[in-house]
Amino acid sequence: MSRKYDTVIGLEIHVALLTESKFLCSCSTEFGAPPNSHCCPICLGLPGSLPAINAKAVEYAVIAGSALNCVINPFSKFDRKNYFYPDLPKAYQITQDAYPICGPGYLDYYVQDKLERTKIVRIHLEEEAGKLIHSGESIIDSEYSLVDYNRAGIPLIEIVTAPDITAPEQARLFLEQLRLVMNYIQVSDTKMEEGSLRCDANISLKPKGSPVLGTKVEIKNLNSFRALERALEFEKERQREVLEQGGQIEQESRTWDERAGKTMTMRSKADAPDYRFFPDPNLPPLNLDPVWIENLKKSLPELPLERLHRLKDQDRLSHYEAAFLVNYPDFGDLFEKVKVTFPEPKAIVNLLMGDYARLAREHGHLNPVRLGELLQLLADEVINKNQGKDILEELFKTEEDSPAEIVEKRGWRMLSDAAQLRKVVEGILADNPDLVGRFRNGENKLFGFFIGQVMRATEGKADPEVVNNLLREELEGGRN
Amino acid sequence: MIDREEVIRIAALARLDLSEEEIEKYQRDLTDFLTACAQLKKVDVSQLRATSHAVTIKPRLRQDRVGPSLKQTDVLSGGADVQDGFFRVPRIVEGQG
Amino acid sequence: MKKLAYLLQSKQVSSIELVEKYLAQIEASEKKLNALITVDKKGALQAAREADQRWKKGENRSPWDGIPIVLKDNISTRGMRTTCASKILADYVPLYDASVVTLLRKQGLPILGKANLDEFAMGSSTEYSSFGVTVNPFDGNRVAGGSSGGSAAAVAAGETPWALGTDTGGSIRQPAAFCGVVGLKPTYGRVSRYGVVALAPSLDQVGPLAKTVEDAAILFSILAGTDPKDATSANAQEFNVPNWDDALIKGLKIGIPKEFFGEGLHPEVEEAVRRALQILEEEGALLVPLSLSTNVYAIDTYLTIVTAEASSSLARYDGVRYGQRKEGADSNTMFAKTRGEGFGAEVKRRIMLGTYVLGAGHYEDFYEQAQKVRTLIKDDLQSAWEKADLIITPTTPTTAFKIGEKRNPLEMYLSDLYTAIANLGGIPALSLPCGKDSRSLPIGLQIMANHFQEELMFQAAYFLEKKLLGRA
Ligand SMILES: [Mg+2]
Ligand SMILES: [Zn+2]
Repeated sequence: MSRKYDTVIGLEIHVALLTESKFLCSCSTEFGAPPNSHCCPICLGLPGSLPAINAKAVEYAVIAGSALNCVINPFSKFDRKNYFYPDLPKAYQITQDAYPICGPGYLDYYVQDKLERTKIVRIHLEEEAGKLIHSGESIIDSEYSLVDYNRAGIPLIEIVTAPDITAPEQARLFLEQLRLVMNYIQVSDTKMEEGSLRCDANISLKPKGSPVLGTKVEIKNLNSFRALERALEFEKERQREVLEQGGQIEQESRTWDERAGKTMTMRSKADAPDYRFFPDPNLPPLNLDPVWIENLKKSLPELPLERLHRLKDQDRLSHYEAAFLVNYPDFGDLFEKVKVTFPEPKAIVNLLMGDYARLAREHGHLNPVRLGELLQLLADEVINKNQGKDILEELFKTEEDSPAEIVEKRGWRMLSDAAQLRKVVEGILADNPDLVGRFRNGENKLFGFFIGQVMRATEGKADPEVVNNLLREELEGGRN
Repeated sequence: MIDREEVIRIAALARLDLSEEEIEKYQRDLTDFLTACAQLKKVDVSQLRATSHAVTIKPRLRQDRVGPSLKQTDVLSGGADVQDGFFRVPRIVEGQG
Repeated sequence: MKKLAYLLQSKQVSSIELVEKYLAQIEASEKKLNALITVDKKGALQAAREADQRWKKGENRSPWDGIPIVLKDNISTRGMRTTCASKILADYVPLYDASVVTLLRKQGLPILGKANLDEFAMGSSTEYSSFGVTVNPFDGNRVAGGSSGGSAAAVAAGETPWALGTDTGGSIRQPAAFCGVVGLKPTYGRVSRYGVVALAPSLDQVGPLAKTVEDAAILFSILAGTDPKDATSANAQEFNVPNWDDALIKGLKIGIPKEFFGEGLHPEVEEAVRRALQILEEEGALLVPLSLSTNVYAIDTYLTIVTAEASSSLARYDGVRYGQRKEGADSNTMFAKTRGEGFGAEVKRRIMLGTYVLGAGHYEDFYEQAQKVRTLIKDDLQSAWEKADLIITPTTPTTAFKIGEKRNPLEMYLSDLYTAIANLGGIPALSLPCGKDSRSLPIGLQIMANHFQEELMFQAAYFLEKKLLGRA
């Protein structure tokens, strides 16, 4: 496939902003309330009601634009996008057409270990529509639909990328990185399952190396990262087949059917709507103070890519380790806190990526000071790895006792006394003369068995290093 | 002269169900109107910006505070067809079922 | 109104008595006039009783506490149906009060009812109402004007001491002129539009209609001010009723734009306006001939903008959340049937025009072009203020026309010939009765002023009113 055609993908991403109240009225944005209980004359579009812009939504749009390296336009306007749909109370959406709040920018992200850049064309502010619940399996086979306007009027930013993306997987990685950025700057909770992050994709194919873009198809209803990648893969193949059979791609909107695993026609270009954009007479243009914009830019937190590079360059973590901490910012933040009391990045990340990750997902995170203490006991060889694991599990049950106190109470201190251990080793070797013989005849893998036996005999307390030395001494001393 | 198809297209865009007579009437009215407005097109406005607002007003932004919403029963009170706390509309995608 | 306030304060009359008096007048004249769509007898009497209680305790909310009012039926009143004279909203009961209604209630004004209008304020005669034509109180065969025809007729017939109207291209001033009352369209942004059903939001303004200039000024003082709910409302533009001062007339520069005294102007209207100008000149005002040459574009510019904005403002009437609904097999069919049957002919005409001028391929040629010509008109007005403090013109080319006389929509649109320019420029304009024609029909004179110069305008109007009444 890739030998004959280039794939060209652009994305339009809607991000719901995490304001307390809606964009143009003061109804709550809370998710999950009873239907039509967060509505007022404004978000219901009652005759005569007028919009009033939420300052926080504007601020969040500027922060998001800044984090995506966009030009922030002090002057921007609001327009009406006119179309009829049951979920759109005023039959027009208040959005920004000619003068968006953010101009060109870009987002850098890794595809495997290669840094890629996707250009952002613009970001604009707009209001969300209501939510439809269809009586049937899908909109197409529903006799009727139910409308809930709680969501109507929640502030959104729409981020439009250039058609810079060349593969479905890359599109997914871009979107994942974008979500991470939105989380870092805390302007959205980006829950795809709740619709607070949504993505439409444009995809076209062109002959390899050709400067002329092919006819693009828009895919809607991509409700997960997986859906985005799968739908693009499907569409890429579909378009390739059409082209290879000498056909033409129709400019159209298609919807992704998750269950069928395919895209389906929604509407063709012929019924492309005429949105009749014009400036909303009810809202004067925004005139933002450039100093305010500058201050917001300056107060941006560390962004995912900056963090990744710092973890790799300063903490000497591998790309894989650093990416783990970046992609799970709660782990990243814990890492930083543990580092204050125990400045050994590698050891910390090893602990966090191991059993800790599994336990933390179940029970929530532990106090970083306790983790530092645990790491210190391991570093000082007061305890061995097995004991470390036991202590970790203890800590998840209660953090009342420090790791040191647990060591004392349970007597889990590591057994390093060579004389004591030698007796154990000798006992085990004496109990297994056959195996000793086989080892001595070259069955090296039995070494691990002996270590295991010693650990078991000492209830896991033995210092593995000492056991190792003793075993080698005893076994190899008598090797043929 | 605005043609009939154009009148039908506009009526569809504006979601107005028009009778035959209405289509003819609006075809004439649209044509008359556009003829009358033709003089506007001749005015030289190349140096002018569009006026979207009569008076220049500095935008006042609202603080992000939650205020009271209407009661669900009130919200639904005007709806012609409501069910289980929702407004109900007939099928959205045409030509099925 | 000051007299009524005095009577209330001195307990010579109660609010109940006032309200009953007006309700009786409504009873007597409504059969003929049809000025009101809804009369809220119970609500008005209840509000009056409460006002009387407050007066008794000395806790009156304002000097006007208990003086009733009528509102044009496109101004939202919580719990009282607001029809916009449209079938589609015939049973619509708002869940909230317009900001101007809140202000009236704060001052204690009982609401007698809601006045007739052209459907969604689209018209100049109140003939385009789904609730029947409002008849001119001076001549049963003639229109009251529009679109605030019900408000103007109700005031003229004594059904209410004052009323609210809305004005997008002349809809307060023209019916005020036809019915012989005072009507003000304030500076754009000076009165909140929140809760006032939109026709063309960049042009719409709410304003007072009353029998006298002072009453109009008092009502305006209640309405004017900043409203955080209306993003286009102006900052810190309260209005206080001024001390009336004839001395201000001396040296006042009155602009007389020649374009408003040309072809199409009825000689009797011209004569009455010229007489008024002479009175001002006699008092020491300077009459300054000037030109507002761009007024020739005003109607077309106005119509393009109004229809465009209206097509979008009226898109929300889709039968889902409120209003009448006609069922259909699918949502789009339901929308089209609901709207096709719910809207009257003029509303549909304007929606069609507006949809066209905003449409792909037409936007630049029509809507954007009109907005640019609007800039030209605004600039023209601005340069006039360098020569004149106020501009005086006839309000309308003729006095009230006959019901059914104007069949052609384009002819009807010309009713706004002298008034639309003030809406395009966002400036205040007032219509004042300045005499009667040979049929005893009232003639209106229009005073325009620069942005936020209502006070000067009221001073001139007050002076003229006094002199004209003195001569009559
Ligand atoms: Mg959008
Ligand atoms: Zn709301």
